[in-house]
Amino acid sequence: MLTEALRCQPIAPEFNPAAHPIPVLQGAPGMWRGRFKAMASDCEILMEGMDAEVAAHLLRRAAIEAWRIEYKFSRYVTDNLIARINRAARQPVKVDDETADLFDFATQCFELSGGLFDISSGVLRRIWRFDGGSHVPSASAISSTLALIGWHKVAWDRPYLTLLPGMEIDLGGIGKEYAVDKVVQVLRDHRPAWTTTSFLVNFGGDLACTGPRLDGSAWCVGVESSEHNHAAVAQARLATGALATSGDSRRFVRWQGKRLGHILNPLTGWPVENAPHAISVAAPSCLHAGMLSTLAMLQGEQAEAFLAAQGLQFWVQR
Amino acid sequence: MNESKQPSVNITTALALACSSALGLAAPGAHAQGEPGTWDFDLASLYYSESDSRVTAIEPVFSATRNYAEGETLTLKGVFDVLTGASPNGATPSDSLQTFTRPSGNGEYTVDAGENPLDDTFKDTRFAASADWAAPLSRDWDYSAGVYGSREYDYLSMGISGGLKRYLNSKNTTLNFGLSLSHDMVDPVGNSPQGLSAMPHKSAPSYEADRAASRDDASQSKNIIDLLWGVTQVVNRNTLMQFNYSLSLADGYLNDPYKLLSVIDETPGANFGGNLLDGNGNRIYLYEQRPQSRMKHALFWQTKYALDGGDVIDASYRFMFDDWGLTSHTFDLAYRWDFGGSYLEPHVRYYLQSEADFYKRYLTQAEYNGGAPALQEASADYRLGEMDAISIGAKYAWRTASDNEFSVRLEYYMQRSKGEAGFGLLQQQELYPNTDALMLTVGYKF
Repeated sequence: MLTEALRCQPIAPEFNPAAHPIPVLQGAPGMWRGRFKAMASDCEILMEGMDAEVAAHLLRRAAIEAWRIEYKFSRYVTDNLIARINRAARQPVKVDDETADLFDFATQCFELSGGLFDISSGVLRRIWRFDGGSHVPSASAISSTLALIGWHKVAWDRPYLTLLPGMEIDLGGIGKEYAVDKVVQVLRDHRPAWTTTSFLVNFGGDLACTGPRLDGSAWCVGVESSEHNHAAVAQARLATGALATSGDSRRFVRWQGKRLGHILNPLTGWPVENAPHAISVAAPSCLHAGMLSTLAMLQGEQAEAFLAAQGLQFWVQR
Repeated sequence: MNESKQPSVNITTALALACSSALGLAAPGAHAQGEPGTWDFDLASLYYSESDSRVTAIEPVFSATRNYAEGETLTLKGVFDVLTGASPNGATPSDSLQTFTRPSGNGEYTVDAGENPLDDTFKDTRFAASADWAAPLSRDWDYSAGVYGSREYDYLSMGISGGLKRYLNSKNTTLNFGLSLSHDMVDPVGNSPQGLSAMPHKSAPSYEADRAASRDDASQSKNIIDLLWGVTQVVNRNTLMQFNYSLSLADGYLNDPYKLLSVIDETPGANFGGNLLDGNGNRIYLYEQRPQSRMKHALFWQTKYALDGGDVIDASYRFMFDDWGLTSHTFDLAYRWDFGGSYLEPHVRYYLQSEADFYKRYLTQAEYNGGAPALQEASADYRLGEMDAISIGAKYAWRTASDNEFSVRLEYYMQRSKGEAGFGLLQQQELYPNTDALMLTVGYKF
């Protein structure tokens, strides 16, 4: 029983810097579905155990948090901290606690992955075009680009970050998963105090829940097939924690008869061979799940072995 | 194009830690309150000080709760009190020096003219401990059971308790039933006095005989049964309402063995309204006597209202009446101002009490009746008299990054007693002194 869509209270421009449309709420007291756009994804919040007024209020807070993170960490925004860091070659830039926590996290992931996860690897996108064609960059273009990559080359001395000239950082690889977890926190912090509630946050397939549904059952989440667009091939049952998916977005380049997906290895400068089309991982947090699915993609042929060693539930589509 | 081949090692634990700190959450190693297999600790220390340094108390409280996987909890609690100071002995102030025999019979203490008589031997330490177990019986039922013990130098209290909770309407309604039984033993210093017998004076030639005549058993006891019925209702997403009825039945020795009543002279003349004197010229004071049983009824209503911003309004009212003729009303209002990681909670309470039927600020010569008192019961304990009290305070609590909570509470208490003004000389005395007290509580939960 869906009521007509409700619009949230207006949101001041300072909380909606990218001027997204106002979130929309639909549903009934048993289950509310709130939707908005952020980070180039359809964002959805499912809410149980409250009336429309509370659901709208929580949806509004969720959107504001997602937009805050989007604006703060996006590399497309020209006047945020990330842009200042990327322009300030050799000049130390002081960062706030939240950003510093993410840089610490990126450092740990860089070390844990032996350099495969690297937030300075975004510059590779300048030379690779995954348009289905057969253009690959020259060896010299690759080697000169690799010179600008490597988290071990930056000086990260919390709270100061200093990049070499030409280097750039990009938190796009963790931003959406981080936003999902932060929105879950916002919902937990602002849910009504006296009633039991349950939430599922889904940002374009990266999702997390606050716990089982109110009837005690798990949330059923479709894991998308790579070949049949939007047709679910598997049902993930999520009673706790999060699920994240990494994929090659069906974008590729042809080279020597091989189809190379758009997952780039920052150590070689080349796309990873034999990477699956998509990997979904269930983990305690969305950030955790996203990092494992990203690292598994970078393992190529070894993706399944890597995932099996983590002891968590996963889905691979080759 | 060399693929870098990572060995398939398990990095998930390290990653879980990294994620927790990136998300500003407690590391998985540090536990959240109420998590199974862990202990939650709660430490608090209360400092209490009455105006004119009458009584000061320091009361550290320690509580630890163990959480088990199926929702069972074991709570252990310990309280240690150290009270020092002086407490009103019940006698009226006088226009000249008063001399009182210490309860032990060893020595005397004096009170200056115009001063409210305080027994300065008042110093006490108390240790109390309890253990409570609570667990689900089924989806809709919880039970609890506990034991309690408390020890002071002259007092021992032991009790057991049990409770049942029934959840209805998907836990929106909770019915509570509780029962507790306790047995208290008091061994007053110098044995318990005979109710309404005269306090012996050390200066009297017949002191030894007087003292023997005024003594009762060395040890006294009472039994208390408490019953509670309650219902807690989630009214809507913001509102929680609770209603309780409790019944308390006490049976046995309910006197305060150290409390006295002054006997006031009604004979017209120079001492009209002064203390009645005995044959030796000593002032006559009688030990108090209360009924041997008490049945108390209390009705309690509480509503908590959560505002959308996270603030909480907490209002409650308690009405108590008993078969001693005492009724009381307690109004309590608190507002919790939520700042995210911390909150400030200003608080105000108003208490209004009528006097017990047998409350007497003093006894008259007629009531004394030459040593064969014309009444069965009498007490001058100000806690049984007409009074009102207001407390104003605030609590500030904040959470640390590791999810522990510190709190500081400061409260100011002002109590005003009322009653008959007396007659003759007594009218010049302040019979109902006010009590002001300051309470500071510091707490830490981890």
